Amino acid sequence: MASEFELHDIVAGYGRAAPVLRGFSVTVPAGSVVCLVGPNGAGKSTVLKVASGLLKPRSGRITAGGVDLTGAGPQKMLAAGIALVLQGHSVFREMTVEENVMLGGYTLKDKGKLAARRNFVRDLFPVVAERWHTTAGLLSGGQQKQVEFARSLMIDPRVVLLDEPSMGLDPKATQTIFDQVVRMRDAGTAVLLVEQNARRALETADLGCVLDLGRVHISGPAADLLADPQLGELYLGGRPARETAP
Amino acid sequence: MPNVSRRLLPLVPVVVLAVAILSFPSLAPNPYILSSGIVVLNYAVLATAWNFVGGFTGYISLGHGALAGLGGYATGLLVTKAGMPAFVALIAAAVLVAALAVPLGMAALRVRGASFVIVSIALVLILLLVFQSWASLTGGSRGLVVPRPFPSLLRPEHHRVFFFLYGGLLALALLTWWIVDRSRFGLGLKALREDEDKASALGTPTFTYKLIVFVLSATFTALGGGLYALWFGDLDPVFQFSVLTGSYLVLMALLGGVRSLYGPLVGALVVGTALEYFKGSFGNTPLHLVATGVLLAVVVLVMPDGVLPALAAGWSRLRRTSQTSIREVTAAELRDQRTSAASAASGSARSADSAGFAGSAGSAASGAGATSPGTDAGVSERASAHERSGGGGGKPDSPGRRDQEARR
Repeated sequence: MASEFELHDIVAGYGRAAPVLRGFSVTVPAGSVVCLVGPNGAGKSTVLKVASGLLKPRSGRITAGGVDLTGAGPQKMLAAGIALVLQGHSVFREMTVEENVMLGGYTLKDKGKLAARRNFVRDLFPVVAERWHTTAGLLSGGQQKQVEFARSLMIDPRVVLLDEPSMGLDPKATQTIFDQVVRMRDAGTAVLLVEQNARRALETADLGCVLDLGRVHISGPAADLLADPQLGELYLGGRPARETAP
Repeated sequence: MPNVSRRLLPLVPVVVLAVAILSFPSLAPNPYILSSGIVVLNYAVLATAWNFVGGFTGYISLGHGALAGLGGYATGLLVTKAGMPAFVALIAAAVLVAALAVPLGMAALRVRGASFVIVSIALVLILLLVFQSWASLTGGSRGLVVPRPFPSLLRPEHHRVFFFLYGGLLALALLTWWIVDRSRFGLGLKALREDEDKASALGTPTFTYKLIVFVLSATFTALGGGLYALWFGDLDPVFQFSVLTGSYLVLMALLGGVRSLYGPLVGALVVGTALEYFKGSFGNTPLHLVATGVLLAVVVLVMPDGVLPALAAGWSRLRRTSQTSIREVTAAELRDQRTSAASAASGSARSADSAGFAGSAGSAASGAGATSPGTDAGVSERASAHERSGGGGGKPDSPGRRDQEARR
């Protein structure tokens, strides 16, 4: 498929230390949610750093829709339609929701497209439209996260990279955030999701990818991973895969 | 009706300012007061010019005294040595300083925070030494006498003309700041002020932007300094290249409020007037500095964000309670809402997420709707918020939300 985003055989690490990712590959097909799960230190966040251009891989290949993006910096990745939503809260707290969202489209020169994207994200995220003129720092954590989602969608990205979107949110806000991930996908944006809350994330995702020690341990349809009892034991908190399972 | 008045509201300070500037020369009881008025307006121009860098980027420059001094000396030298007409020299000086600000800015804006402050101080000290030592060109410590541009005018008339010239320059600086503030460029600047790395990650060319406002700021500062040279007619390096001048500008801007258009102007009115008044009443002693210091301490203690933001906050507190994100329903009420919403829309993913919104929409409406923060009113508001979002079945456009839309 030409429009997919692909990391192929990536080796990456920090400084002169041993690599964190050792031959990692993942493919994000257009219009799907791919979830990366794995224990602490498996390299989940490093994958997103490589994918967003913040960290240059030592070897391997990054392509989006057939275009080679290996070695591109953050701005180039952004221009190629790879948007990153950082872990924690990264809204501009002192600016209004409107200003935050419009900054997401800062690289768009076309006024008509900018307006169209603005209306699109306002429709997709009712909370964002509702709080349009509010100072972003006054919103709750879940609302701020949605502002960040809206901001990342302004450039009409090919793929949105989400780093721990549910971090620090209460269960209800987490629910809303995952619902929004689904809505983003349904609106045509592919999502590469990194989550601590592995079970919840896999329930949302189409495809799953279990990462351990910098390599893909197992990957496949998210439902299959959820149903795998051994996987549940190892990575999903040791509970049985289904509440109803014996 | 309120719509019209809201649109006209921004014009009020413009009109007040215009009337004040146009009438002051006629109202001033004597030429000394008028000349004090010019000094205050000079501060207002310089502080507004400073605010292009300070207000938009958050970089605190203590070196703007040097840019004003450069503008003054460049104007003076172009008149005396190159024989240019006074106002041609003024414009040429501003262009020169703007050109010089490009390499200066490229060097200084590489560093952030305290390092930038120190670099900006270094600029002042270096220029002070240069202009003191290079006596063959600048006259050194003996000073540089700049001929008056209107030799036929008597002293009071001369003051009056320069008061209006300063008024015009102030208007130009304010207008430019206002245009930048509302532009896409200004949006990028505000983002970089809050977090330079984040802004850059979203595609804002942060360094170029910083440089552009620095050059803009230098241009207006040089115009202010040049006008001062033409008005005062005597330049001395010690006063032209003084860290104190830069500090005054910072204090004025911070005092008035760096985020607002008129902040530096208000700060200049307060500090400048105080300086002139204390100088007048204490004579030639350092006491005026002490008195100004006390005044500043009081303002900073009472209004840490500046005079204008403090006034604005007080005003909005009087008018209405502002929007809040704090939930104003109890957990039990929330649970009831959720169960009723779930039963109404029999559990699809859509409804679950809009139930999430209903809670926040309801609480927002109750927060915005409460006119008095009294306990009784709070309770009744809560009850009605509950009713509304319970009855609305948790749709994104529940009555609560429409209320809020209508308020805009």
